[in-house]
Amino acid sequence: MANLIINGRNMSVDAADDTPLLWVIREQLQMTGTKFGCGAGLCGACTVHVNGEAVRSCQTAVKEAVGKQITTIEGLSEKGDHPLQKAWIAEQVPQCGYCQSGQIMQAASLLSKNSSPTKEEVVAHMDGNLCRCMTYARIQRAVLRAAAEMRTASTGSDRRNT
Amino acid sequence: MNKHLNNVQGEAVGPAVPLSRRHFLIGTVATGLVLGYAASSDLLGLDQAVAAPAKFDPSVWYSIGEDGLVTVSVGKADMGQHIASTMAQMVAEELGSKWSDMRIALATNDPKFNDPMLGAQITGGSWSTMMNFDAMCRAGAAGRIALTDAAAAMMNVPASELTVRDSVIAHAKSKTSKTFAEIVKGGKITKTFTPDELKAIKLKTPDQYTMIGVSVPQLDIPFKVNGTAKYGIDTFLPGMVYGKLVLPPVRYGATVKSVDDSAAKKVPGFIKAVTLDDKTMTTTGWVVAVADTYQHARQAAEALKVTWDHGPNAKVSSESLLAEAKRLQKLDDSGLFFVKTGDTASGLASAAKVLEAEYTTNINIHVPMEPMNATAHLDGDIWHIYSGNQFPTRSGAIAAGAAGVDPKQVVLHQTWLGGGFGRRLDGDMMVPAVQAAKAVGKPVKVIYSREDDATMDFSRPLTYQKMKGGLDQNGKLVALNHDVVSAWPTKRWGIPAFLSPSVDKKGALDAFTVNGADFFYSVPNHNVRAIINEMAQQATPSGQLRSVAPGWTFWAVESMVDELAHAAGKDPAQFRIAMLDGAGDNDGGAQRLRNTLLAAMGLAGYGSLKLAKGEGMGIACVSSQERKTASWTACVAHVAVAPSGEVKVKKLTVATDVGTAVNPDGIRAQVEGGAMWGLSLALYEKATMKDGGIEQSNFDTYTPLRMSQMPEVAVNIIANGEPATGVGEPTVTVVAPAIANAIFNAVGARVRSLPITAEAVKAAMKA
Ligand code: FES
Ligand code: FES
Repeated sequence: MANLIINGRNMSVDAADDTPLLWVIREQLQMTGTKFGCGAGLCGACTVHVNGEAVRSCQTAVKEAVGKQITTIEGLSEKGDHPLQKAWIAEQVPQCGYCQSGQIMQAASLLSKNSSPTKEEVVAHMDGNLCRCMTYARIQRAVLRAAAEMRTASTGSDRRNT
Repeated sequence: MNKHLNNVQGEAVGPAVPLSRRHFLIGTVATGLVLGYAASSDLLGLDQAVAAPAKFDPSVWYSIGEDGLVTVSVGKADMGQHIASTMAQMVAEELGSKWSDMRIALATNDPKFNDPMLGAQITGGSWSTMMNFDAMCRAGAAGRIALTDAAAAMMNVPASELTVRDSVIAHAKSKTSKTFAEIVKGGKITKTFTPDELKAIKLKTPDQYTMIGVSVPQLDIPFKVNGTAKYGIDTFLPGMVYGKLVLPPVRYGATVKSVDDSAAKKVPGFIKAVTLDDKTMTTTGWVVAVADTYQHARQAAEALKVTWDHGPNAKVSSESLLAEAKRLQKLDDSGLFFVKTGDTASGLASAAKVLEAEYTTNINIHVPMEPMNATAHLDGDIWHIYSGNQFPTRSGAIAAGAAGVDPKQVVLHQTWLGGGFGRRLDGDMMVPAVQAAKAVGKPVKVIYSREDDATMDFSRPLTYQKMKGGLDQNGKLVALNHDVVSAWPTKRWGIPAFLSPSVDKKGALDAFTVNGADFFYSVPNHNVRAIINEMAQQATPSGQLRSVAPGWTFWAVESMVDELAHAAGKDPAQFRIAMLDGAGDNDGGAQRLRNTLLAAMGLAGYGSLKLAKGEGMGIACVSSQERKTASWTACVAHVAVAPSGEVKVKKLTVATDVGTAVNPDGIRAQVEGGAMWGLSLALYEKATMKDGGIEQSNFDTYTPLRMSQMPEVAVNIIANGEPATGVGEPTVTVVAPAIANAIFNAVGARVRSLPITAEAVKAAMKA
């Protein structure tokens, strides 16, 4: 039995220590926003945050996540209105959409540390996330749009980026 | 509890429809299109009963609820091309509904949802928009007419004085109006249309469009940014267990000799090892490890010891496939003629200059981001299967074959597809799901690992093309022989209707291996021979990969035309334009292709921009997919080639004539993605066969384009008022030859094999 904190909620699952977090989240807890793409750390479809860091859940054993704050796409924002999600809609990014939870989670970890990334920084940060529909141009635009919006919002309310 | 059982998609794309709600339904009956009221649980055709008329065949296109929401049933697979949204857009144009009132429901494999032109449920060929445009617009118009008549009766005014806009029907004179919701709630709509009346409805002319041509937001996108869109892999059923495949090392033809489950039995939750008995012959030698969780199924699969007879294809390799293709091409009696115009033998004999060249493409695999999967559940004598699929008509039959039941006993529940690209035209995933569920008496979800998915792909075949062209004294192309040797993916389906008679009626050929070779250039003597590579047919088996034949035929044609232009001492663009004269059958298409090519050239600065040393621009233009379904597409590739042979694509400029753009931004997205696919296939994707198996199994060895490899892309959509064409595939086909032609213009190196490698460029530079 493993106790996990996912999107701020305590959840316990019957899974051996070495079970990849991906399968626990997706198939046991049925939180299917996190996707399986390769199972080998090569595509980023399974990206979630563990203590704020983007990690590949297919490469993270349950025991490594116990007691840490796990965030999935379902918990990124309360109403699906994170600036990245809004930017994703504004730029009409998704095609099949299957990679996009992972793309958004990966991008969120960049913007939480770097509020004004350059295009090159976006590419370097996102290059591990495959999109078979190849929506890369729109992903790039959406990340930059969200970053700009977050800067405006934080200046507007006179808050620092945390 | 299972949250997804009700309506596969209702919850993903809009509110589920309560059972008791009265609906305004539009559907066809034997006598024609019917507009009537029905109580309906949902749009999947369950529990439908209709007040009037008495006999209702629930061929539902869309319904309008009492809340005014319009739910369009989509019998197409939506794999990211947003076809569901496009269908809704076409309905909304004529219906006069507000975009925010539109909803989507994905259909099942019930024949009532078949494509009106194809008579089956299949999504591919970039056909959907063009083949459904008229039907969906007409369905919308019929609904508007029925609503207008009802509103006229309610408001006691002549229908001719009413206008319809944004789900409101208004009478300007009396300043009164009724919403669709009010009319559905209170109106008496009894209108029926005979097929002739339906045909007689006058549709809007393009200048009247308010919805077509507008980049409305795609209806499926909000659900794809918050993790709630449901794909096949997201299915959960009560009591469901999991299956993980154990696969033989050869792609096709193996048989299971023994299964030792002694170690697997020690895995907690292990239930059973199921050896498939696949009478449909879709799979060979597959075993499924079934367990209570997917993790346990994975561990059990790992622990199972299976031995196989590797079968007849155990020695096949990419090299032997190519050698066999070359052998077949040399035989005079190989293959069947797809094109036979004039007399190429005498044309070549009298030519001033003859050029020969061979073009090859390696095996490519689809690897959509969502690995193949299916969940099967036997309920009474009905099999319910949940899996995103492009060809429900055939895949449902495969499931039935695997279950040993009549296809009518299979309900295939469509989901969003996590990528299709032709991979999900196949139904292999049905077999392990059904047979495992049968063996354990419980619903089973089978999820392919990426390795399973990659190595058991129905791949784009390895192709070998031999071309021989003759130029006359003036450098005009007068004769061209073109032999295309490949596996015949569509023949594998065993559906005669998908084959075409050869031009000399000597047999049936798979036109989906030669489409594109029947180009719009005027060449007086022209042969195209389609030759099946039986060795590949048996060993690989091949499938349809985004853009199918034009993905290799235009690689050869557009490279060869360039080579001929250079041999004739002419500018490749001028050489092409001269052949796009619109003579005979080429009238119309040739001119459109010429215009598109000129547009791309102008936008790219072809021939006018000064380029650095080692850089070049190359062009290509295509009439993908088929002659009758072409989107006229041209590309200018701008490359920089290093002395090492390394190719950097700096920019791709694409122009495509789509006739009518229903959703310009959606088209742009498809063209952008298509261009990147073309680039990826041109430079980065290569699969190989060795000892009968595909050697690449994950994204470390099979390497589609990543963000850092993306060049600048300029996309230009030409909408000139011709009928709408498809855009999912054509751009894929134009990029590789444009790049190869650019490489030649940059450094004089001609490459003839895909993918293009630095080594091949370097070798050609020296030669
Ligand atoms: S599924 Fe984890 S990186 Fe691909
Ligand atoms: S949108 Fe389809 S894989 Fe990215």
